[in-house]
Formats: sequence, C-alpha cells, structure tokens
Amino acid sequence: MKIILKLQDNYDIQANLFSFVIHFGLFIFMLVSIQWQMKDVYYSEVELWDAMPMQVKSQPVANKKKSADIKKLTPKAIKKQKQLKINEDAEIKLKKKRKAEKKAKIKRVQKQALKQEKIEQLQKKLLEQEKIEQLQKKLLEQEKIKEIQKKLLEQEKLDKLKESILDQDVKKEVRIAVEADQELFAGSNTGELNKFKAMIQQKIYQNVNKQLCGLDLVELEFEIQLMPTGELLGEPKLTQSSKIESCDQALERAILQSQPLPVPKDAKLFSKLKNLKLKFSPNAYTE
Amino acid sequence: MKKSLLLAMLMATMVVGCSSTDMKESMGLNAPFPELTSQTAELSAAAIDELASNPLLSERSVYFKFNSYNVESQYSDMLAAHAEFISKHNVAVAINGNADFRGSHEYNLSLGQKRSVAVSDSLSGLGIGSNNVETVSYGEENANQECTGSACDQDRRADIVYVGE
Amino acid sequence: MLNHIHRFIFFITLITLSLSSHSIEVIEILGGKASQIPIAITPFNEEIRTMGQVTDKKNADLQKMHKVIANDLERSGLFTSLDTSGISTIPDSDILINFSNWSALQAQFLVVGKIITIQNRLITRWSLIDIYKEKTVLSMEFSGSKKQYRGIAHKISDLIYKKLTGSPGVFHTRITFVKKKSEKIYGLYVADYDGFNQRAIVNSSQPILSARWSPDGEKIAYVSFEKKKPVIYVQDLNTGKRVLVANFKGNNSAPAWSPDSKKLAIVLTYSANSQIYIINSDGSGIKQLMRTRSINTEPAWSPDGKEIFFSSDRGGNPQIYKVNVDGVSDVNRVTFEGKSNLSPSLSPDGKLLLFLTQDNGKFRVAVQNLLSNQVLKLTKGPHDESPVFSPNGHMVLFTYKDYGKTTKIGTVSINGLKVTPLRVGSEAIQESSWGPITSN
Repeated sequence: MKIILKLQDNYDIQANLFSFVIHFGLFIFMLVSIQWQMKDVYYSEVELWDAMPMQVKSQPVANKKKSADIKKLTPKAIKKQKQLKINEDAEIKLKKKRKAEKKAKIKRVQKQALKQEKIEQLQKKLLEQEKIEQLQKKLLEQEKIKEIQKKLLEQEKLDKLKESILDQDVKKEVRIAVEADQELFAGSNTGELNKFKAMIQQKIYQNVNKQLCGLDLVELEFEIQLMPTGELLGEPKLTQSSKIESCDQALERAILQSQPLPVPKDAKLFSKLKNLKLKFSPNAYTE
Repeated sequence: MKKSLLLAMLMATMVVGCSSTDMKESMGLNAPFPELTSQTAELSAAAIDELASNPLLSERSVYFKFNSYNVESQYSDMLAAHAEFISKHNVAVAINGNADFRGSHEYNLSLGQKRSVAVSDSLSGLGIGSNNVETVSYGEENANQECTGSACDQDRRADIVYVGE
Repeated sequence: MLNHIHRFIFFITLITLSLSSHSIEVIEILGGKASQIPIAITPFNEEIRTMGQVTDKKNADLQKMHKVIANDLERSGLFTSLDTSGISTIPDSDILINFSNWSALQAQFLVVGKIITIQNRLITRWSLIDIYKEKTVLSMEFSGSKKQYRGIAHKISDLIYKKLTGSPGVFHTRITFVKKKSEKIYGLYVADYDGFNQRAIVNSSQPILSARWSPDGEKIAYVSFEKKKPVIYVQDLNTGKRVLVANFKGNNSAPAWSPDSKKLAIVLTYSANSQIYIINSDGSGIKQLMRTRSINTEPAWSPDGKEIFFSSDRGGNPQIYKVNVDGVSDVNRVTFEGKSNLSPSLSPDGKLLLFLTQDNGKFRVAVQNLLSNQVLKLTKGPHDESPVFSPNGHMVLFTYKDYGKTTKIGTVSINGLKVTPLRVGSEAIQESSWGPITSN
C-alpha cells in the first residue's frame, strides 16, 4: 500500500487515467453482459396475456332457412322479392361489410392492445431487470463490504496477537501470516502457499544450531529441491556461505534433519514449492 | 602544533626518566619486610610491660562495616593511646588490614589495604609519621571462609602489630 | 476513493504476476537455537595381544576412553552425548554402520573405535561418522603408552571438536588452582583441564593467590605470603626454579601477563592504596600506569596488548574500567550494570569481557559483549569467584561456594548452559588459572 501511495504522489495523472480506463472498460463489459442476459431472459420467459381477446361470435346461417320458407310468388312479387332480396343482400353485404369492418377494427384495436401490452411487458421486464441488477449490485457490494470487514477483523486480531506476544518464534509465524493475509486480500492462491512456507520455516528453525555460527551477523543461502513426500531430492546446495565452515555445515544439517518437510498434497501448489531458496541469518534477534 | 608536540615529548622523557630511577629507590625494590627497623627503636622491656599493662594498648583492632574503610569515632581513645605510645618509644608498627571473604581475593587485598591506610592516616593525624608505620594487607586470607551473616563482621578489621613483639 | 483505486491496481497486478510467474519461492529463517549436537560415542572395544595371542583380560582404564571423550564434548556445552549402553552390537569401525538405527536414536554423529594393547603400549583406531550424510568424516590411528590413555582420548576429543565447530579444542590443556588443605597448608597445583593428574608445584604454610599461567605456557606467576606480606614470584614450569620479581614496600599482587609473555602488570600499594604498575617479567624496569586516590587493581590485558582493564572504586563501589597501555589516555568505564563488578579478563578474540558481578548480594560470573554491552550472567552464585577463560574462549573455569560450605571448582560453557564441577578433592579451592593451547 505504501508503495502505491508513493506512486500516487509521483504519477497522479497517469494512475487516474489508467484507473478510469479500467473502470470504463468494466462499464462497457457490464453493459454488454447485461444485454446478453436480457436476451436470455427474453427467451426463457413465457409470455402471459393479462386479458383474453374478445371472441367474435359467428353469425347464424339464417338466410338459407328463410329462403327455404318463401312460396311461389307473382312476378311482381318476385321482382319485389328480388328487389328485396337485392336490398337484403345489399344490406347483408353492408352489414357484413360493417361487421367485417368492425371485426377488423376490433382486431386492429386488439392488435394495438397487444402491442401495448407487449410494450408494457417489455417495459416491465426492463424495470424488473434493472431492479434485479440493482439488487445484484447491492449484494455484491454487501459481500465486498463483508469481506473487507472480515479482513479488518482479522487484521485487528493479528495486530492484537502481535502486541501480546513476547515469544520471538510466534512473532515470526505472525509476520508470515500477516503477509499471507495481505496476499489473500489480493485474492490469489498465495494464502495457501504462504501457509506451507511458514510451516517449512518453523520446522527448519527448530533445528538451526546457531552456536556454531560465531557472534557476528552472518547470512547464508541454500537451494533445495523437494519431492512430493517432503523429502529432499539430492543434497542442499550452498549458494551463499557464512564464511564459517562449521556454520555452513550446521545449517545444512538443520535442513537435512527437518525432513520430511510439510508440503501440500495439491500437485499444482506443490509445484510452486518444489524448488526453494532458504535464506538464513542465525544470529539475528540476539539476546 | 609542533611546539606542543615537542613539549609533550620533553615531558614524556622526563616522566620516563623519573620512573626508572626515583621510583625504584623510593619504593625500595626488593626491600625486606619490615623496613622501618633502621629508623626506629626496638621494643624495650619497659615498652613491652607498658603494652601489657595499659588496657587501651591491648586493644589492637579497628572494625569496619561491609565494603567500608571509615574509622569510626569509637576508636579515638584507643588510637590516641597507641599514638602516644609510638611517639614515646619511637617504635615501628605494622597495620594489617583485613576483609571478609566476600568478593575476589585481590580486591579484598586492596580493601584490607585501604582500611590499614585509614588507620595509618588516623595515626598520622595524631602526629605519627610514615617512618614508624607500615601498612600491609592480608585481604581475606585470614578470614573465616565459611562464615555467614554477622559472623563475618570480625573479619573486617585492621590490626595494630608492633614490630618485634 | 483514491486509496480504493490503488488497492484495485495492486490487486490486478498481483493476479497477473502470480498467474504468470515462474520465480523460485524464498523462505527466510531468522535466528536459531542454542542447541547441542547429539553425538553417540560407543565404547572402544579392546583387543589384548600378548606375544601374538588374543586374551580376555581387559584393562579397566581403557574401558573409560570413550567416557573421557564423551565428558570432554559434553563439558564444552556444544554437544550432548547419547547413552549407548542399551545397544547390543557396538561397531568398532566405520564399516557396516546401520545409519537408520543411529538416525532413529536422534544421533547426528557417531564415534567408534578399537584399542589394541600390546604389553604397555596401545594403538587406538577411531572414526567420526556423519549420520545424515552417511559418510566417515575422520578416521585416525594413535599409539602411546597405556598410561597415556587419557591424553589420547583428549586428543580425539580435540580433533572432533575442531572438525565440527571450527574452533580448536582445549581438552589437552592444563589448569592451576590453589588448594587450602588447612589454615597452615596451602598448595599450588597443576592438573589436566578436567582436574585429573594433579600435582603440586608449590607447598607453603602461608596463603598463595593469583596464580597466572603465562601465554607461552612456560611459567606461572603467583602471589605468596611466605614473607609475611604479599610478594610476587615467577616460577618456571619445566625447571621448577622461581624468581622473586616484586617485593616492594607494601603489597605486591595481581600479576597479569602481557599477551607476548614479556611483561607483567602488577599492583603495588607502597604506603597508600593499590595502584597498577608494569614491570618486565624478570622484575626489571618498573613503570607506573596511573595513580589516583582510589583503589586500582586486578589488571587484565586486552589480547592485542594495547589496553588494560582493571577494577576501581573511584565511583564508590568497584566497577571495571579500561585504559591505554602506552601514553596518556582517558580512563573509560566499561561496566554499568550491577552494584559491584570485579575481576575482569578478556576472551581470546577480545570481544567478550569476563568478570564477577554482585547481584542482589550474590557474586556471579558474567560476560559482557564489548560491542553491544549486553551482559549475560553465567552462574548463580552466591559466592562465585576467580573466573578465567579457556584458551578458545568457549568455557570458563571458576570457583564457587555455597553459604557456609567449602569452595569448589568447576567449568561453565560460555552460553551459560552447562555447569560441570571438577573433581579435585574435598579441600577448599581458590584462585584458578587456565593454561594455553599447546601444539603437542
């Protein structure tokens, strides 16, 4: 955090720009994803109509019966009947026309209503969608807040632990645990990794005999290769000597004595710990 | 700078010169003990009688508190009597300083010496010069090595011993 | 808001880094433990050869050879010797070692050996074996007279010590101490560092103090009261002859050898309080170091011969000070903790000051790191005295006394963890000194 704050002092504009770009990208991402989601919702939902459409009742076929009842009539009458008929036909036709028109009108209205409905539905859906997203957002935020609170609590606990401890050994454990915790916030798998690193560190520490390393602050480095059983593959390789032979040998013994080292069972995680560099400073924290 | 260096060199040679000659003589290299007999008188028979008869003179020890070399006032009369005796007969006296066993042997030798010197200073204050007095220390060598608590008190003392008795 | 942004960036970069990195993981191990190397020293099997025949009569002394080695290494405080008495088959050479068995016993090293005795001579073949690495580290053969079995064992201890710690061993060195047999019988003794093979080099009816072994190993300087006052003698260890080097008026005491064995710092009183002088080791050329009204005594040279540490009561209670040997310089106070501090001496590397400290009325042996000024109390008291370093600086010889009891002598390892008495008899012991490493 400190590093970043420092950066902030020097590269204010660049950082802000970068963060803006990222946020913008994420925003776009959000939009695109939402649309995709909308389509999905659209397909998966069943459309329900609120009001059933008006049924158009079919006209009874009465003309035929009527024509069946009519007896033989005079030509005038026939003409009249014909005229009547024509008139009737015309009327019927008109009526039909009107009915058809009416029908059409109704249909049109209904169609419009449908359209309206559809639009309303869509609008409703949009609204719901928005609501859901807002909810999701809220949930996410809440979760984030919870996580942050959790982390703060743990940080507090760790700080308290640090204060109340006098034993140097546990101080070391805490230091690594805190670092691991900070990495956990970063969100990657390094938490587990650091847990094993701390266990290995503790086990080897128990076997470090600093009496053979004189009084001065000396530093050593070894490189080791581990097998999944926790045992060493080959011998520890001394990459930085303390210049005191008995000290180099004592620390090599400490490493050998610590076998088998605690290693994770997960193959992927183990692969990260397969090759280790061990840095020693045996006379640090002298009494 | 040069001037002071020269001066320092001069002084250094003087000091070295002084130490190698004067010191030996004044300190009496390989002198036998005691050295006072040449300048003082031997204990006469009368003097010995007086030592035996005078009660104050038969008191020979000054006692001290732990880690202290302060001569306390209770010994004034006794020391005055001894001073009188010494000047009267011009005899030699050795003051043997002692310490209790606590602490190192060498430091106790020095502490015993300091007690002896304290008594010698008291006598000097009463007019007795260094010609008559020799200070010696036995440190803790005469002390009770197994004492505890107040049983160790008696080891912290300076004894007046007349040469020749 | 800004802080949030930067945490975010940190988070992004961390993810990318961790996903893509192939770097080797680093584990830092700071500090360590003051632990001891577990070593198993098996009894050396004896094979007696008389006129070519092998017999069954075993020499009781030689059965102890492995114990001498075990005691040596344990006394140093750097080793812990494992009990091998329960093991049925003891190897006598480095062939056919069952490493897993020894490893199961928590042994890191193994010492095996064989003694072949022919009349009064013996041949010792021994090996030092590394259990973790499964290989022989040292393998040697020594011969000598049967009487020398302890000396041979000590030599083996020295070689093991040097190999595993890097420092020279002191198990072959000798010490001096004063025995007070009664109020009228004192003796100055020389013995093996572990108290064995003691012999008196001075017998006196008067006290003997401050015996100091010269760094070249040839002479011992000591204070004697045989002239009814303290005077200083220097005695040659080879010839037994001695020279009276200081008999000035008053007290003559606290002889301290210069590192080149050519001079002695001594304390004279003349008619006043104790002061420090420097004299040639034959008694010639006296020179005063300094003069004050207070007590200045117990001089000790620094290993480079440039400074003298001493105790003085100029501040009230005795404390330890130091001053340059040549020229005029400031006197600097060295000890600040504790009511009184006495009897200073320096470690061979000049880094540690060894002294006596008065703590709650008890006199305890302590060491002070002259760089960090940290003080470590090595012993408990109540009446510990006369602390001296071993010539490798890893052990301290000192006398100790309980309330109302006789003074005894013992060693303590420089880390304060291992206190071991020396068995030299029931008489009171005072004033010890440690002789140098010899190349024999």
